[in-house]
Order: sequence, then structure tokens, then C-alpha cells
Amino acid sequence: MKSILTNIGKVAMREVNRMSSRGLYILVVLVLPILSILFFGSLFKEGVPTKMPIAIVDLDQTASSRKVARNIDVTPLSKVTENLQSETEAMSELRTGNIYGFVVIPKNFQSDILASRQPVISYYYQNGFLIAGGLMQNDLTLILHTLSGGINIQKREAMGQPEDYIMSQVQPIQLSTHQLFNPTANYSVYISTIVLPIMLQLFILLMTVYSIGIEIKERTSHEWLRLSNKSIFTAITGKLLPYTVIFFIVMMFQNFMLYKVMQIPMHTSLGWLMLGSLLFVMAYQAIGVFFIGLLPMMRHSLNLAAFYGILALTLCGFSFPIEAMPPVFQYWASGFPVRHYMHIFQSQILAGFELRYSILSYLYLMLFFLLPLTIINRLKSALIYQTFIENVHKT
Amino acid sequence: MKNNNINIFRRMSEGFKNTFRIWMREFQLIFSDVGVMILIFVVPLIYPLLYSFIYYPEVVRDLPIAVVDLSHSSDSRQFTRDLDATPDLKVTVSSSISMEEAIMMFKNREVRGIVQIPETFSQDIEMKRQTTVSAYADMEFFFYYKALMTGASFVSLETGNKIQINNLMNEGFTEHQAQITAEPFKMVDNAMANAGGGFASYGIPAALILIIQQTLIIAIGILAGTARERHIFGTLVPMDRKKMGTFRLVIGKAATYFTIYALLCIYMLGMIPEWFGYGQSADFTELIALITPFILSSIFMGLSLSVIFKNRESAMMLYLFTSIPLLFLSGIIWPLSNFSPVWLVVREIFPSSNAIFGYIKMNSLGATIFETRKEIMSLWIQTGVYFLTACITYGYQVNYSVHLRSELASHSYREIRQKIEVNG
Repeated sequence: MKSILTNIGKVAMREVNRMSSRGLYILVVLVLPILSILFFGSLFKEGVPTKMPIAIVDLDQTASSRKVARNIDVTPLSKVTENLQSETEAMSELRTGNIYGFVVIPKNFQSDILASRQPVISYYYQNGFLIAGGLMQNDLTLILHTLSGGINIQKREAMGQPEDYIMSQVQPIQLSTHQLFNPTANYSVYISTIVLPIMLQLFILLMTVYSIGIEIKERTSHEWLRLSNKSIFTAITGKLLPYTVIFFIVMMFQNFMLYKVMQIPMHTSLGWLMLGSLLFVMAYQAIGVFFIGLLPMMRHSLNLAAFYGILALTLCGFSFPIEAMPPVFQYWASGFPVRHYMHIFQSQILAGFELRYSILSYLYLMLFFLLPLTIINRLKSALIYQTFIENVHKT
Repeated sequence: MKNNNINIFRRMSEGFKNTFRIWMREFQLIFSDVGVMILIFVVPLIYPLLYSFIYYPEVVRDLPIAVVDLSHSSDSRQFTRDLDATPDLKVTVSSSISMEEAIMMFKNREVRGIVQIPETFSQDIEMKRQTTVSAYADMEFFFYYKALMTGASFVSLETGNKIQINNLMNEGFTEHQAQITAEPFKMVDNAMANAGGGFASYGIPAALILIIQQTLIIAIGILAGTARERHIFGTLVPMDRKKMGTFRLVIGKAATYFTIYALLCIYMLGMIPEWFGYGQSADFTELIALITPFILSSIFMGLSLSVIFKNRESAMMLYLFTSIPLLFLSGIIWPLSNFSPVWLVVREIFPSSNAIFGYIKMNSLGATIFETRKEIMSLWIQTGVYFLTACITYGYQVNYSVHLRSELASHSYREIRQKIEVNG
């Protein structure tokens, strides 16, 4: 037992030496992950988009129409940057991308209201950009409903109705919205918390495949196996150990940025956060070992890792809910540790639900550790016989 | 004079021949490399299909919600039925459950939202008092939140409107008068570009453009790394006896990738949008005006970057990760008006940013070439800049190979053998 530990230590030391021999290691393990953390941290700094440019086409030019325009301008979300003369002009501005939406106040707006002729206000918004489009729609609908209610109130006041009665009539049913378990309608909570683990899994996968694949490619696998006393278990544990430590530290730094610097609510203890992060790192290392064992020629296993890693963005279900996807992909999604990590984040960390609602996800993460067992013999023979050397013709 | 002319003519024809040879040789290199073939052909063919199938439902329909009905009246039951009738929501449990039970179901993910109707709902309506319905939304997914809010506020507004009109008519208004009082002006909602708000129509155009750029740059990087591994002294450019023209090298290689990707674009930007019904407002010439500088700038950027990839794997290891940040930098997820100046500058480095923006404008909104001029201009500027950097880096590499060759010529055979062993 003791000799196994010393062997693991020896292999780990060898790996640390190998890491310092090439710039690529330090880039993939430290520099690029930290750059990604800083990128996403600063991109969504504001949390909610503000002051999106919008245009007003005021064909009426009366006190009422100007009031509409003013009301739109004062909301935090949008900012009136242009006052245009015609709908065609505004449409062209929208297509050019200078504005995210515009509101058309028709001719005779004020006189039509006074004469009870029910004028029509049209609003247009760029819905090709999902967040901007959705927010713009909500915002404009809300403002216009408020304005419409205001006119209604004025009319009733003129009729001499009592104030309490007016309020109950203008809006008989009030909808009060509560955001369950996440008080902040903040996009960095939605996006950064999931995209950062997705970035990290990409680096873990590529690095794991590379660190083993390069031994086959450069025919150094015999030396590696010799140091581990020909035990594939010792060899892989020792090799992956330095990466487990480093990636775990990177992930904790990432958590520090998310929960301390960006102030995303965290309703769990540090211990659980560390456990979840460690399992996440190890699950992806296990998948990396599985890939290189499945396709011991590094060029192919790297392709596979890239394909799988990029797909996580889609299949972890943070962009588009898994439940709304065709059933085949719903099962497929379980094959991504980041999906289970996301569940832990949402249920335990963000919402603070009891452990029993997320314990299954921890078990799923651990299930991935078994994956390398399926290819361990294939990998071992690839390391021993070096049969998967790429054919390089030197010219 | 005449002699001179012939000379120029001969040099030009030689140049074309050389360029053509490099062009063909690059084809040969690509087609003899399975890894690169997968990257260039399989990925662009498979990914768009895969994404289209994954996002096929496009929008969230029938979000399962629980209705906690404390009123138990015919009014509240009608309200529940109206919620269920919206395309966004599906009431899976109602009436008899308590708020605690509903929250339990929420934690188990059986329901994704809760609507609570107050005990006094029916009395409030009868007594002409304002009543408050509460909606508890799942904040985990933007889509779930949006679906619940859309459905619940629609039903509240409609029901409220009915009540108001009803009361007004009881007060002696005609139906028409009552309607106008309740709704002094009408509002018309016009969603542009992606009227249905579908997720595929929103995400896939961006993904298509990004796939083109990323596979191009990685493939060029892989081939450059492989070339360095093949050449005995780790040079990017082979140490042929005859010096290779930098210009011919860059143009010849670019021509290969351009040919392949021009064909791929017919599939990716022509057939895929047609099969799956994504926006296709742009006509052929408009697309060509945008895509030509995009492919060219991506190729030249790839050639310029390829010099830093020392090994075959380097490109995948060091460049693949940019795919995700680039999606965010394009401005389709987070509005550009909220970007910090630093990221706006970084955004201009990559051709994909302007191409994605331009492609969505043209294809989904029907923008003309003139309305897309900013993006097209930026792409041409990038093409020019990256062409220069590609020429500079390749020029340097060509000279390096020539220099190394001439230096080796002064060494003895034995010394060269030793050097090869060290390098190999």
C-alpha cells in the first residue's frame, strides 16, 4: 500500500516536471481558464441591460404624444436616442442595428382619445436578440398599459368617481409576481454561473486527453508505466492528481468570484460547495480518460473531446430547457456532468433547498468515475504496445 | 522593351502556376488528413443538423404550473381554466392543494411555477374591489420565467378587462363606450426578426457563422502544426530548394479554403435555413456581399495565427475555447449598448462578431447591403489587415527556411545528421 502511494507521488512529480517543460500546459491549466473567468465576470457586470437605444416616431406632436415619449425615456431599460419622422425611417434604423425598437404614435392621437376613437399605438422591437427583445417587449407593454390606465383614471375622475373605486375598476385583478428562491432578476446569475463551469470542463477535458495522449504520441508511455510499477491505476492516478489539484483551485477561485465578488446568493456551506466542485473536476477527468482510452490516437480523441465539450453548452439545458427538447436529447443530457452540477447549483446553492433534492445529482457525478473502467484494458495495451502512433512522414 | 514585356508575362504565368500548385497541394494535404477532414466536413455538416433537432420545439409550450385556489369559486375556476388555455401554461394541479404542497412539488421539479388565487377573489370581484393574484416564478430559466409571466399577465389583464367592461355596462354605458373607457388606445405588438420568439431561429444563425470561422481557424492551425512536426527542423514552410513566394503561398493556401468553404456555405447558409424554416430574407447577392469578406478574413486570420501553433494539437488546445466567449461577444445574447469599451474593441478582432450581427440583420430582418454597410466594411478591413499579417508571418517563415537551408549547406553531413536527431 505504501509503495503504491510512493509510486503515485513519483508519477505526480514527473507530471509536474512535464508541465513546466511546455508553455501549453500552463496556458490551458491556468491562464486561459482565469482569463475566461475575468471575461464573463466583467461582461455581465451590470446584471440587467440598461439604456438600450430606442426611437420614437411621433406623428402627432401634441402634449399627449410627448408624454408617451417621455414616459418611455425615463424607464431604466430603454433610452430614446432618436426622434424620427416616419415609420420607414425607423424600420431602416432598426435593420441597421442602431436601435433595438421603436414606438409609433399615430397622427391625431390626442384628438382621437378625446373623441373616444381609440387610436392605435404600434411598437416594434428586434426579437432576433432574445434578451433584448424579451425585455423590450415587457417594458413597452408595461409602459403603454400604465399610460392607458392613466387616461382611464382621468376620464373617471372627470365623471366624479371616488379614488378607491377608480383603482379597483381600472385594474380589477392585480398580478403580483414573486421570484421564488432567487430575489435577483440578474442575468449574471443565469449566465455566468453556468457558462463558467462549461468553460472549465472544456479545459479539463482537453488537458486530460492531451496529458495521456502525448505519452502515446511521443512514445514516452513506457517510462511512465515503469515509474508506476506497471500499474495502470497508479499511473493514471498519479498523472491526473496535479491537474485535479490545480483545476479544483481554479474552480474555487471561480466560486470566489461568483459568490463573493459578484455577490451571487449562496445558500449552502463551503463544504458542500467544495465537494460539488471536486466531483465536477473529477467527473470530467474521468470522461477525458474514457475518451483517450476509447480512441488512443490523440488527434481523434481530441476531436471527440471538443465535440462533446462544446455540446455541453446546448445540452446542459441552460440556454433552452431540457424538458422542452425532444425526448432523445433529454436522456443524452444526463451524460453531461455539467448538467448535474447545474442542478446542484440551482437547487442547493441558489435556492437553498434541502439536500435531499440534490443528493441524486451528487451520485450522478460520482457515477462518471466508473467510466474509465470500461476502457482501462484498451488504454493499458495502447500504452504498452504503442500501436496507435500517428504516421508522420518526415520530409 | 519587348523583351521586358515577355519577361513580365513569363513571371506572371510562372506565378500563377506556382499559386495553382500550392492550391492543389493544400487540397492534397487536407484530403490526406482524416482529422482535418472530420473538422472541415463532418463538423459543419453534422452540427447544424444536431442543433436544429435539439431546438426543434423552438419555444416553451405548456409549462407545468400549480394553481393554489383558495377561493374555490366559479370565478376562480374560470381563471384557472383560462390559464390552462394559454399556449404558455398547463395547469397540472389545482384547487385542492395548499401552498406548502405546491412548493414541495416545485422543489421536486414537478411544477415550474405557482399561481395563487386569494380566498377573497370572488367576493372582491362582486364587491368591486381590487384583488391580487400572486405568481411565483421559477427563476432558474429565463424561458420558464417568461412563459409564466406571459401567460399569467395575459389572463389577469383579459379577465380584468372583462370585469371592468361588465361593471361599466351595469353603470349604463353602451358596450362600445365601455370598451373605449377601459382601453383608451389600442396597442399593437410587432416582434421583428423572429416573430415567434423561437430559440432555434435565434441561436442557430449565430452558431452557423461561428462554426465556419472556428473550424477554419482550427483546421489551418492543425495543418500548420502538423507541417512543423513533419519538417525535420520544425519549420512551418518546407525547405525546398527553390524559394517559395510568400504571396503565392498565402494566396494559394487561401484559395483552397475559400473553395471548400464557399461550397459548405451553400449547405450551411442556404439549405439548412430552408429545411428548418429559419429566416431567409436575404437574397443571394446580399449573402455573398457579407460572406465573401467573412470567409476571407477568417482564412487570413487563421493563416496569421497558425504560426504560433508548434504542434498538431496546439490549435485545438489553445483556440477551441474561444468559441463560447465569441458567441457572447457577437452581441446577440447581451446587448452591445451594455458592453464596456474594452470588449467592444476585442469584439472587432474576430470576424465572427460582425458576420453574426450582419447575417442576422440581413437574414432575419431583411436588411439591405447598404443597411449592413458597417459590418461589411469592418469585414473587408479585417480581410486587409489579416492578409498583411499573414503575408508578414509567412514571409518571415519563408526567409527563415531559406536562411536555415543556406546555413546547413556549410555544415558537414555528419553535423546535419546530429542536428536532425536532436530535433526529431
